[in-house]
Amino acid sequence: MQALAKVLVVDDDAVVGRSFDRVLTDKGYDVSTAMNGQEALNKFAGGHHDVVFTDIKMPGMNGIEVAQRIKQSSPRTPVVVVTGYGTPTAEAEAAAIGVSEFLHKPLLPETIEEIMDRLMRKPEVEEKEAEAATAAEEKTASRGLGRTLKNIGLFFAAPFIGLAYFIAFPFIGLGMLLWHGVTALRHRSATK
Amino acid sequence: MKKLYVHPLPVRIWHWINASSVVSLILTGVQIRYVGLIDVMSLELAVSLHNWIGFLLLGNFFLWLSFYLFSGKIGTYHPELSPKKYYAEAWRQVRYYGWGIFRGAPNPHHISPGNKFNPLQKVSYQIIMLLVLPAQIVTGVLLWDVERFSSTVTLLGGVRVVDTVHVLIFIFFAGFLFIHVYLATLGHTASAHIKAMFTGYEETDDEPGAAEPERDTKEARPLVVAPMVSTQLH
Repeated sequence: MQALAKVLVVDDDAVVGRSFDRVLTDKGYDVSTAMNGQEALNKFAGGHHDVVFTDIKMPGMNGIEVAQRIKQSSPRTPVVVVTGYGTPTAEAEAAAIGVSEFLHKPLLPETIEEIMDRLMRKPEVEEKEAEAATAAEEKTASRGLGRTLKNIGLFFAAPFIGLAYFIAFPFIGLGMLLWHGVTALRHRSATK
Repeated sequence: MKKLYVHPLPVRIWHWINASSVVSLILTGVQIRYVGLIDVMSLELAVSLHNWIGFLLLGNFFLWLSFYLFSGKIGTYHPELSPKKYYAEAWRQVRYYGWGIFRGAPNPHHISPGNKFNPLQKVSYQIIMLLVLPAQIVTGVLLWDVERFSSTVTLLGGVRVVDTVHVLIFIFFAGFLFIHVYLATLGHTASAHIKAMFTGYEETDDEPGAAEPERDTKEARPLVVAPMVSTQLH
């Protein structure tokens, strides 16, 4: 996950914006909200955003139009449509614009985190795929003995490395639980 | 729902031979261990079956090993060399198994032909297939003909030590079977992963929320997310 990636949430229901804010701020994202399409476009034009979540049904400009205008001005920015009224037509329109995800309410916090993780990983994944393709080409060009030996070495080293991970896992797990607990307590005292 | 060809035919054949061998070895092993208490078959027959099936498992293991070493699928069992990355991914998987799965969250691991195991499965199978199973095979062969391998048995601490290791691993495998079968039922349907082990195709759904019902009025619309991360509102 990239720290301080900027997320814009567009929904005329302020509670929705606050809920996204609560979930994603905890995860290190910088969340800003807009209550309508025009405000969203102004905010988007005023500063770089890494991901945009938008509702469909809003007064004035609807979410599909917001998504379309954002994709026109910044085709590489992922836009996620979140709606309680997902019709096949709306979904088809969204797909034609090139939105990354079309989600139906209600959403779990975990789902939002998962989507964000996936979207933020995408450029990394594409880069890795390109690297893997290059590596595959190199491999076919020179199927070296060294590479085979390295593969076999890694294969037989795997259970020992795995065993080390396994033994350390309870300690790492307890540490992570502790960290989550402390973060939750801090968040709780900050919201009081 | 997409279909991905994840389990090649040799792996499926190996899997089912291995599964039936392990179950048969556990059953005959229990009979050998508890002769007098359990009398389903004679000790001689149990020992003979145990030996034959043991050699079948040994041969099958080398088929598995050859397939992964020489088919280009060796990466399936390669370790993750970055502990930071491994624990981050493993932690997400633990959270999913311990929490998210009960709340309908999507599986953080996206299966693909080159990456079919999640981080927890990967480490488990690396240890089981390349450490635990070979140890069980070696101790089994030593116990099969103690006299022939007497010097090795002595070197390892004697028959009691070798036998204890063999029985402990047998207990481990008996327990692992239950976990394995339980986890195999956690696909999108209870039989999805089991079916995939026959057909080779895993079905994946990469669209979280797609199954949520449509809603008709703005007033009836629920919150997008719960006010607290740990609470779900509908």
